[in-house]
Amino acid sequence: MTQVARPKPRRLDKFTLPSQPGNERLALARVAGIVKDLGLSEARLEKLKTAVAEATMNAIEHGNKNRAEIPVEVEVTQNGDEIVVAITDQGGEAHLVPGQPEEPDLLKKLDGDQSPRGWGLFLIRNMVDAMDVTTNGQQHTIWLTMRTGGAAHGEHV
Amino acid sequence: MASMCEATTRVLPGAAVIELSGEVDGSAAAVLTDAYQRAVTPDSDPGTVVLDFSAVDYINSTGIALIVSVLARARAERRKVVACGLSAHYREIFDITRLSDFIELFPDVDHAVSQLTGPAA
Repeated sequence: MTQVARPKPRRLDKFTLPSQPGNERLALARVAGIVKDLGLSEARLEKLKTAVAEATMNAIEHGNKNRAEIPVEVEVTQNGDEIVVAITDQGGEAHLVPGQPEEPDLLKKLDGDQSPRGWGLFLIRNMVDAMDVTTNGQQHTIWLTMRTGGAAHGEHV
Repeated sequence: MASMCEATTRVLPGAAVIELSGEVDGSAAAVLTDAYQRAVTPDSDPGTVVLDFSAVDYINSTGIALIVSVLARARAERRKVVACGLSAHYREIFDITRLSDFIELFPDVDHAVSQLTGPAA
C-alpha cells in the first residue's frame, strides 16, 4: 500500500499582544497579512479576520480581564490545506460558567429577555470551518481552522 | 477608550439618516446613542431611521449589540430601521444574526431614501 506523506504543520507566525481593548484589530491585521497569499478567497479571508478579532477580544476581556500586562498569544500554523490560528489567554477556568452559554436569540434580545451582547462565540462558530477550545487549568485556547479550498457555514462557492 | 466611530445625522421628510464612519465597536456606544437622539426628536419624529454604513470599515460583536439596542429602541417607538452601505461580509453577518429579518438592507443611501420616499408623483 502506498502511503502519501502528509506535510508537517508549518508555523507561520507567533506573537503576543497586551490585553488592552482594541488590540484585537492588531491581531486581525497581522494574521491577515500572514495568510493573504495562502489561497483563501477574499470572502473567507474576511471571515477569518472576524473570527480572529472576536477570539482575541474574548481572550482580552474574559480570559485576561483587560489586564495589559498579561499577554494574549497568537500562533498561526499551516497544516496541509488548513490554516489554524490558536489564540491563548491565561484565563483558564475563568471562561467556564455554570451551564451552557445561551445561544443568542435576536427576538429575545429585542424584547429585553436576553442581553443585547453575547454574539462573540456565535460569530466565530459561523465564520470558520472549525472552532475548538482547550483549557489546561491556567491557559485557555481557541483554535480556529479554515481550509484554503473550502467553504464556511452557509457559504456559496 | 477613544471612539474610532463618528456619526452625522440628516433629517429628511419621514426619515432620519445616521451616517456612520470608522469602527462600530464597544467604543461607539455613546456616539451611536447621541446620533440616535439627534435623529429622533419630537420635531423630526421620523418613521424610519436609516443607518448608513458606507464609511464603516469594522463592526465587531459589541457593535452588533449596539445595533440591536438601536433596533430595540426604534421598535419600542414604532419606528422602522433600515441599513445601507454594508459590505458583502457584513451583509452576511446581518443575515447570520437575523438582523436582516428586522432591518431592510439597501445597497446605498440613495436607494434607501428613494424606496422610503417612493416615486415622484
